[in-house]
Amino acid sequence: MRLGDSQDEGEFRTRLRDWLSGQIPAGVPQEWDSERLRAWSKSLYQAGYAGLSWPVEHGGRGLPAAYQAIYAEESALAGAPDHVNVIGLNMVGPTIIKYGTQAQLAEFLPGILSGETIFCQGFSEPDAGSDLASVRTRARAHPKGYQVDGEKVWSSYAHLADYCLLLVRTDPEAVKHHGLTCLLMDMRAPGVQVRPLRELSGDTDFNQVILTDVVVGADSVLGPVGQGWRVAMTTLAHERGTFGITLTSRLSAELDRLVQTVLTLGAGSDPLVRKEIAELHVQLQGLRFTGYRALAELQRTGEPGAESSILKLGWSLANQRLTALALRVLGPDAAFDGPQAFWSGYWQQQHLRSRTNSIEGGTSEILRGIVAERVLGLPRTR
Amino acid sequence: MDFTLNQDQRELKAAARHYLSQSYPLTLIAELSDGVGADGQAWPELLRQGWLDPELELLELALLAEEGGRALHPVPWWVTVALALPVYQAAGLPLPGPATLADGSTGCQARQQATGWSLTGQVPSVSQAGSVTEIVLAASTPAGTALFAVEPDGAGVSLTERAGVDPLRITAGLRLVGAPARLLLDAPATGPVLAAIERRWQVLLACEAVGVADRVLELAVDYAKTRTQFGRPIGSFQAVAHQLADSYAAVELARSLAYRAACVLADEPDQAAEAIACAVHAGIRAAVSGCEVAMQVTGGLGVTWEYPLHRWYRRALSLQARAAAGPDPLEVIAGELFTPAAADRIEGALAPA
Ligand SMILES: Cc1cc2nc3c(=O)[nH]c(=O)nc-3n(C[C@H](O)[C@H](O)[C@H](O)COP(=O)(O)OP(=O)(O)OC[C@H]3O[C@@H](n4cnc5c(N)ncnc54)[C@H](O)[C@@H]3O)c2cc1C
Repeated sequence: MRLGDSQDEGEFRTRLRDWLSGQIPAGVPQEWDSERLRAWSKSLYQAGYAGLSWPVEHGGRGLPAAYQAIYAEESALAGAPDHVNVIGLNMVGPTIIKYGTQAQLAEFLPGILSGETIFCQGFSEPDAGSDLASVRTRARAHPKGYQVDGEKVWSSYAHLADYCLLLVRTDPEAVKHHGLTCLLMDMRAPGVQVRPLRELSGDTDFNQVILTDVVVGADSVLGPVGQGWRVAMTTLAHERGTFGITLTSRLSAELDRLVQTVLTLGAGSDPLVRKEIAELHVQLQGLRFTGYRALAELQRTGEPGAESSILKLGWSLANQRLTALALRVLGPDAAFDGPQAFWSGYWQQQHLRSRTNSIEGGTSEILRGIVAERVLGLPRTR
Repeated sequence: MDFTLNQDQRELKAAARHYLSQSYPLTLIAELSDGVGADGQAWPELLRQGWLDPELELLELALLAEEGGRALHPVPWWVTVALALPVYQAAGLPLPGPATLADGSTGCQARQQATGWSLTGQVPSVSQAGSVTEIVLAASTPAGTALFAVEPDGAGVSLTERAGVDPLRITAGLRLVGAPARLLLDAPATGPVLAAIERRWQVLLACEAVGVADRVLELAVDYAKTRTQFGRPIGSFQAVAHQLADSYAAVELARSLAYRAACVLADEPDQAAEAIACAVHAGIRAAVSGCEVAMQVTGGLGVTWEYPLHRWYRRALSLQARAAAGPDPLEVIAGELFTPAAADRIEGALAPA
């Protein structure tokens, strides 16, 4: 059991930290519009920080997962944004590596790594959220492959995306999990219509996607026809598994900001604030070191440990608690927003945004159900 | 970073679990709890099992403490290893058998006579004093606090057992009237040794708490799989399943923190305060609330004397009480987070405008 970095890991961390500090000036407000995000993703790629743990033959650096974790920690610490292609890089890419044909590997992976091919994930529908297997978007046979009709919602970054990993029903007769298929759909194909949805925080990061007679080539099927459920589960496993350390690293940076806020506002000796912050710290360190355990299991056995299933659940609750505390510390000033507010309304924004944490990527209820059934072996609830 | 148990550590843990489950079925634990409170015969076997091997590092002791908590190991191993052993080690003396430690620095005076040292005074509560070979006592001497050993059935020593919430960890009031005592460590060496022991017992307490939490979760999960109501296993009701999922999360986070604290204390004892505080807070909370969830899930059965759950709850509550004798973990953490150095570290770099 080793808590610190190995020599190689330590050197990697130092070089990365130096590089990041040259890229992101400390203390300066950061506005990351989509153009800046794209530029950022490109520079990550050029500096060799995209696809750290992807296999070398697929353009990655083939490094152990620990290096991805170090990247997550250092970039959170530096206040760096997500890669604009976070879905492509962390979720779709690994799924293509597992299920893709040679042609698909060659077509998509280089662009995903360089940030040129941005992916979104079209799983959820108005009537299929938690119950993902009930997707109704239909793909019917068409001379070129499939013709797709339906509607997707909450698709993050669909307004920026070039492609979508789309879950569709190819066999309406088959029950639920059967008869689903995954497609790699061109977002610029005729019949694809993207309508931004505004989140409660005011951000417009997710979208409604209307699909009307969209023609998708037969070569765009990812994995076997009818096995879309398995393919989608691979994507979700990557979403929920390897993302854990990124989340706790961000939480850690956020707690530091809260401590800074508390000190600035002179609340550092308020016993209730001290107690609540200390409790958050315990929760955060618990998540952090549990993430390390899951990572070590992943490196040892090739499977993330069962512990990883609680990371997203724990993170979402802790983050919500943290931002709620920030507003309490702001007191009456929490009512302000915009340039007049403390840190231009940073905490107000974070608090509103935090409410999505326990919904996106699987609701807390669904995640508890997964722990209960798959980790604890309790009987199914349905 | 490679934060996982190695092969040897996994084997040690599995062997300990096997030994404890073979030796201490629930019936025996219940019998000992309601009777004498300890297994007085097991020490030689424990030595054979290697639980006192000098090569054991803190992380390995942590794993044994965790297994001990799971099994409610009814042998005074924890007090020996967590509290008394470091004193014998510092003195370069062999461990005489199971031993405990108490702070008599304000209530007990040591006097040096021609025949050796003798102790006089009182300590209100000494953990497991009645089940050990020697009691190590911090007592005052003209040169400061020193550490002595007395035998519980020696001349001038009287013990009065005090009823306790955890009957497997009975404490006793100790009265000494000119009791002959062995000097283990003289005044100047005592302070640092006692400070190190305080950090050590906190880590081993957190580990034991994790073991308690882990075992009661297992009990509750097993029950939820088999008990049926309304024609289905109660574990298929979300209100039940989700409470157990939350307990699972609490156990795993606490376990990570306990292992981490053991590593940090072994490697950088002076830097360990925050890690220990996290481990203690999370461990106690996981154990106490884990027992409470298990009690809810097991319904009426769970709150009977017959059903063994209360044995672990009693252990959890006694660990919580013992932890209260140490520093307040949340205050330790807040103290570290709100130092001026922390403010400097945060200044600028992380502050969004
Ligand atoms: C910010 C954000 C970004 C997102 N990005 C994407 C994306 O890029 N691509 C994509 O495909 N999707 C995305 N989603 C969708 C997300 O995965 C779904 O919102 C989520 O799975 C929940 O589905 P739902 O919104 O339909 O809610 P429902 O499933 O209708 O749930 C409503 C409530 O009922 C509860 N519930 C439902 N079923 C059960 C059950 N079996 N047991 C107990 N409680 C239950 C839920 O926990 C929830 O509290 C995003 C969502 C958010 C908020």
